[in-house]
Amino acid sequence: MGSNLNPKKNYLLNLIPKLLFVIVFLNLLQITQSTLHGQNSLATKTISGTVVDKANLPIPGVSVFIKNTSIGTITDIDGKYVLAQVPNDGIVVFSFIGMKTKEIMVSDQLQINVVLDDQSIGLDEVVAIAYGNTTQRKSTGSLQSIKSKELTDIPVTQFTQKLQGKFAGVNISQGTGKPGQGLNIQIRGAASLSTNSSPLCVIDGFPVSGGVIDLNPNEIESISILKDAASTSLYGSRAAFGVVLITTKKAKSGKSNISINAYSGFQIVPDKGRPDVMNGTEWARFKKEYYEDLGQSVPEAYQNPEQYGKGYDWYDAMLRTGTINDYSLTISSSKGKLSSSVVGGYFKQKGVMLNSDYTRFSLRTNVKYDLSDKLTIGVNLAPTYNIDNSPSTDGQFFSGGGMLSNATLTPPILSYKNADGSYPVTVTTPGVTSFPTPNWVRSIKEITNKTIDTRLIANEYIQYEVLDGLKLKSAANVELVQTLVHYFQPSTAGRAFASAPGQLTANLRETNRRFWTWLTENTMEYSKEINGHNLDVLAGFTSQKYRYDQSVISGYNYTDDRVETIDAALVKNNPTMDIQEWSMLSYLTRLSYDYKSKYLLTASIRRDGSSRFGKDNKWGNFPAVAVGWVVSEEPFMSKFDWVSFLKVRSSYGVTGNNNIGNYTQYSTVEGDVNTTFNNTTYSGSAVTNLGNDDLGWEKTKEFDLGVDLAFFKDRVALTYDYYKKETSNLLYTLSVPIESGFSSFTGNVGKIRFWGHEFNINSDNLVGKFKWSSNFNISFSDNKVLALSSLSDQLIVWQGFVSTRTKVGGRIGQYFGLKQEGVYKNQADFDSSPKLVDSEVGTIKFKDVNGDGVITTGVTENDDRTEIGNPFPKFVYGFTNNFKYKNLDLSIVAKGSYGNKVVAALEQGMVNLDGVFNVLRDVEDRWRSEENPGAGLYGKTTGSTSHDRDDFHSRYVKDGSYFTIKNITLGYTVPSKIASFIQSLRVYASVQQAFVFTNYKYGNPEVGVDFNGNQPSSTTQGIDFSAYPVPRTFTFGVNVNLK
Amino acid sequence: MKNLIILSILGMLCFISCDESFVEIPSETTLSTPIYFNTQSDFEQAINGAYAPLRSLYNGTYGAWAMGELRSDNSTYKYNPNDRGTIQGEYIADFIEESSNGILDTKYANNYYVIARVNQILDLIDGVDFDVDDKNNIKGQALFLRAFCYFDLVQYFGAVPLHLTPAATLDETALPLSDVDEIYKQIIADADLASELLPDKATQETGRVTTGSAKMLLANVYIVQKNWSEAETVLKAISGYSLLPDYNDVFDPSMKNNSESIFEIQYKEGTEGFQSNFFYTFLVQPITADEISVVTGITEVARNIEGYNIPTPDIINAYEVNDLRKDATIGYISASGVDYPYIKKYAHPHSLTNNTDDNWPVYRYSEVLLFLAEALNEQNRTDEALIYLDQVRARAGLDGSTATGQNEVRDAIIRERRVEFAFENKRWLDLVRTNIAETVMKEYGERVKANPQDYYFPEGYGVSPSSYTTINQLFPIPSSQSELNPYF
Repeated sequence: MGSNLNPKKNYLLNLIPKLLFVIVFLNLLQITQSTLHGQNSLATKTISGTVVDKANLPIPGVSVFIKNTSIGTITDIDGKYVLAQVPNDGIVVFSFIGMKTKEIMVSDQLQINVVLDDQSIGLDEVVAIAYGNTTQRKSTGSLQSIKSKELTDIPVTQFTQKLQGKFAGVNISQGTGKPGQGLNIQIRGAASLSTNSSPLCVIDGFPVSGGVIDLNPNEIESISILKDAASTSLYGSRAAFGVVLITTKKAKSGKSNISINAYSGFQIVPDKGRPDVMNGTEWARFKKEYYEDLGQSVPEAYQNPEQYGKGYDWYDAMLRTGTINDYSLTISSSKGKLSSSVVGGYFKQKGVMLNSDYTRFSLRTNVKYDLSDKLTIGVNLAPTYNIDNSPSTDGQFFSGGGMLSNATLTPPILSYKNADGSYPVTVTTPGVTSFPTPNWVRSIKEITNKTIDTRLIANEYIQYEVLDGLKLKSAANVELVQTLVHYFQPSTAGRAFASAPGQLTANLRETNRRFWTWLTENTMEYSKEINGHNLDVLAGFTSQKYRYDQSVISGYNYTDDRVETIDAALVKNNPTMDIQEWSMLSYLTRLSYDYKSKYLLTASIRRDGSSRFGKDNKWGNFPAVAVGWVVSEEPFMSKFDWVSFLKVRSSYGVTGNNNIGNYTQYSTVEGDVNTTFNNTTYSGSAVTNLGNDDLGWEKTKEFDLGVDLAFFKDRVALTYDYYKKETSNLLYTLSVPIESGFSSFTGNVGKIRFWGHEFNINSDNLVGKFKWSSNFNISFSDNKVLALSSLSDQLIVWQGFVSTRTKVGGRIGQYFGLKQEGVYKNQADFDSSPKLVDSEVGTIKFKDVNGDGVITTGVTENDDRTEIGNPFPKFVYGFTNNFKYKNLDLSIVAKGSYGNKVVAALEQGMVNLDGVFNVLRDVEDRWRSEENPGAGLYGKTTGSTSHDRDDFHSRYVKDGSYFTIKNITLGYTVPSKIASFIQSLRVYASVQQAFVFTNYKYGNPEVGVDFNGNQPSSTTQGIDFSAYPVPRTFTFGVNVNLK
Repeated sequence: MKNLIILSILGMLCFISCDESFVEIPSETTLSTPIYFNTQSDFEQAINGAYAPLRSLYNGTYGAWAMGELRSDNSTYKYNPNDRGTIQGEYIADFIEESSNGILDTKYANNYYVIARVNQILDLIDGVDFDVDDKNNIKGQALFLRAFCYFDLVQYFGAVPLHLTPAATLDETALPLSDVDEIYKQIIADADLASELLPDKATQETGRVTTGSAKMLLANVYIVQKNWSEAETVLKAISGYSLLPDYNDVFDPSMKNNSESIFEIQYKEGTEGFQSNFFYTFLVQPITADEISVVTGITEVARNIEGYNIPTPDIINAYEVNDLRKDATIGYISASGVDYPYIKKYAHPHSLTNNTDDNWPVYRYSEVLLFLAEALNEQNRTDEALIYLDQVRARAGLDGSTATGQNEVRDAIIRERRVEFAFENKRWLDLVRTNIAETVMKEYGERVKANPQDYYFPEGYGVSPSSYTTINQLFPIPSSQSELNPYF
């Protein structure tokens, strides 16, 4: 095609009629189909029977239906069923959660009794893979799949939260308790230095750009996590961090079902994990001593500390009991040619911090129509609308956010509430003139930070089986997101200690964001079986384009807080705009071959071209190959009949990462470096980005060796994987010497090796009346930096006052700071020890790591900073147990991490010795005099206190190991029929974030918000800048299936 | 037939152009170099952009005043025991050297931003054809700015990397340190050429550098190098300037770029981002909103961190009786109920808090006169020198200098410079180039240690014991840069 064609316009012209066509067509078909339906009239009869399990116990609630019809029922409490109008040539299907589905020809039988087998391992269950499906038995890659049914009871906003502890090698951590936010997924370690190492999320074959935060978990049928390169390489340049495949609910053939899932509950912040700061009396005493140590007279306010009693708990004042409600209705129906599934959802969470809430309205309609045996078309439409009120609670104190941290630091002798019940605008500490303290309770309540998202995900496809085994599929996908962020800070609410609330600080920021992306995929698949040789070939071509537009208007100085518009701002800032675009063209192909499901081979390659890369490096190839051998199928294995399944598999492949932002390859000329001369404005420009024509893919080569093993008739199944990957050409924006006029350069630098071992065990410990099954998974991983840039063999990355170092020969993102060696206890100690430029007796003492006799930071050759902690765990593990006895079921999900260090960066304010903030209780035990030297943790209040607080050092580094009982759910399936239209009814109670066992003092050891309250990058892991507390949630729910 | 229809539908779906241009998307919000620097207008904009970093070089809490004035005995800070978190200025003032001090970064970075931008211009401008006078003007400005910034760097840091072409690759971003002599050679060459290429003040657009600016810069270099005769020649070639009758007017934003002004950093109040805030940076803090409003007359917010560039008792006492400059330079303001001196030179009416219209004077005609006096005196032409010195004194309402002999006149010139250019970032460099920094600052340090309350320390506080023990004449290269540059 001609190069002058505007692809966007071209696309629009084609897509709109296509969508209209499909929708109209579907409606027409629905009409014709319903008229056709009445014509089926074959000879019918009534059949009956009993359904039992292996222990010969009746199973109630089994769905019994005739395939491809709407005829169906369920078994009663005794496992009995009666089914009328059964055609002689029908096939009866028996299906039940957790059991293998059974199909039986009716023929001339009138009584059909069946025994259903447990589906403990599901070796033959269909699992989604890149551009297709397979089974665990035949898969050659490292992937793990989970059905959403196993997750329904976990009362959380996002489905990712439900996956915690379930997957080996997948570390899902919750950095913040903010409603609707904050899950960080890492598959097989942080595989990059670039800012984002989250896996690619693919919903029904569509890699979404907007993330999956707002996806209603009830829409999900199953989730597959693809880990090794052989499984992911068909996603090419975006696959290096693994892929999460989400399949949404489709109607089951021949079944109609209406189900309601609902729960309701409340949330609290446990006492354990709150910062252990001083109460009123303790703090007043600290202040009294502060003045005494200075040799000054103690101000009246601090002369009698006991008068304050416990004082005011500012942390607690920011909290409330939260509520959580989730209602979801699913209607699915598959009759004849048309099958459709509709999921409507409403979710509302009032967070445990004041003025924080999240509401989601969601709808998903998946419709499929079989025009003939060979031709299928389908449309999935999923609009959502959500409203998120999110005060700036997370991040470091002082400014920029961190309201919870600010509240914690407010002296406890100050009251947030007046005697008359009103709330003061500011509070003032006697004797402290700095740090005007806004009333944080007012701040959190009165500042509006509301995000409204309207999003639509649409897929439409047409599939045609041209010849037997040859399928053509063409799909178009669109994602559209419109976001409006309204931020208004009234004159009565402050955000930082740096400025008092007032007319001048009242400000507005209105952000309008829109992005949309479209993807077209055309694939061809050919399958053929000849004498046990199974061959499957896939080939395809895809193109995708993304565009993002943002505009921001802002202003400040409001005389009246009631009008929150830009018009009322006395000072209006210049509006700004941003546009981001990227595009991608790809070709892909895969060949799968097996012989009698015994010898397996898969080979694939994808070729990606992207607008993000330099002109000399536009295209990348991502090949992979995998082999498998199902040993248990070999005759010689029959001796070992206790081994029911054994497969050895291995794969090698190349994947890429393109998370680099757009346009970074260009030397860009910035147009807004304007200048004034003699009060006239002159427009100016400057080259502000150092371009790179060679900018290309970050490549990860990964080797995987795995074993799948099942014993004792599949009662115990074990999976083991070893992987080793080398990521080279690391995409990184590195700091360059400012002498060049540039601060950074985006390039492909260095090489990092990652490796690990993963174990996953499923076991049916008890079968029979009392059932107990377990899953345990554990993964060990590590990394080593092999090379970095040509300018330097180390990268120092800062987050506030905390720095990490990534150095060749070492690991990624190691905490890098001074080592504390107590305080200078006395003059002798001071005289004989190395010192900082302004050390005194009684100030903090650091280790002279390089032995040059002085303590220095920063300068490379005489730096005393060293690596003081590793943020990566030695291993992470998950442990899930399910119990079932009669109608009762109980499940316990746990997750743990061992050996990682955490930086309690939030302590920076709480160890401020200047007497302006509330401090940790153990600051009581600081150095006061040679006779009273304290515990050696904190120096004196009268010296140069900034090193104690602002120099990053070992006191901030804590043990981050933990073991958390994530969820406990107790369910009861109501046995007798309440009403005729109810097929099954289950009620349950659940506790989320039930218990956290850890030495880490601050609530959530799964730390993960950066200085500004955002998700941290790979090089700044494990730094706790005070986040929204992760609450404990208690809920009660029901699952109802209607007839 | 049916298959044919279906196949054609499928064919319709494969509509996307497969050509390379699909994956080539330039930014819509910024321009990129291949399509830039092609026209006169591009270079005009580029030279405007090259001036922009000068605003940050001089303004703000890390501005040029910190290393130029706060370092000296002219100004100090107001110690705030409640906030020990923002004390980089204290370290500069007290001679507590830390190469991680962010003030060093500001100086270093902004100078190099200007240098990189003009290197880009100088590298490409000869390849584009346009009016030769316009081109010479742009080149002249570019060369001036490069010389000016390297002069600033070399005076404060000594040896620094000498970039004369734009960095185009990762490896080109770092260079080894160049000799001080080599840097000076380049500065002289650039300033000299600039003085030839630039138009004079009458023809140049007001506010841009002129041939006079370039000559003044060149003269300053010669003065620092003690090349007195060259300095004299260049200074005498500076024409078209005169002293304003009233010293107050020199700093008045309503008289920006007046006849005395040779080069000043241009600011403009408002929301475009060109404002200065010297007045606010130099206020004693903590101070209430109302106390600031007394001086500014507008709505203010309380300022609570730390006040810098507070006039010391030493500079206050350095003024002769009846020196009209004293009241024009130093005022008094109440902060938390106590009166403190503040720099009045940069206090003028404006309408928004922290948003002032004041320019920063870099070179004024009175410095031509005082440099001339110095160059002549050093050449033992003391009588000639006094003529120029007295011109400056006369404007300040003072009688002619009574100094006699080369040494006395030398001291008189330095004293005169101290008060004439108080708080214009001249004092520290004057102390260094006249080799008296060590003595003056040690003595000053003794006074501060003996009477901390005279230097605005609260009761019970004082400078750290290690203060003023080593008087380094140069600052270390910022550690953030030595971390990145493999050569140092």
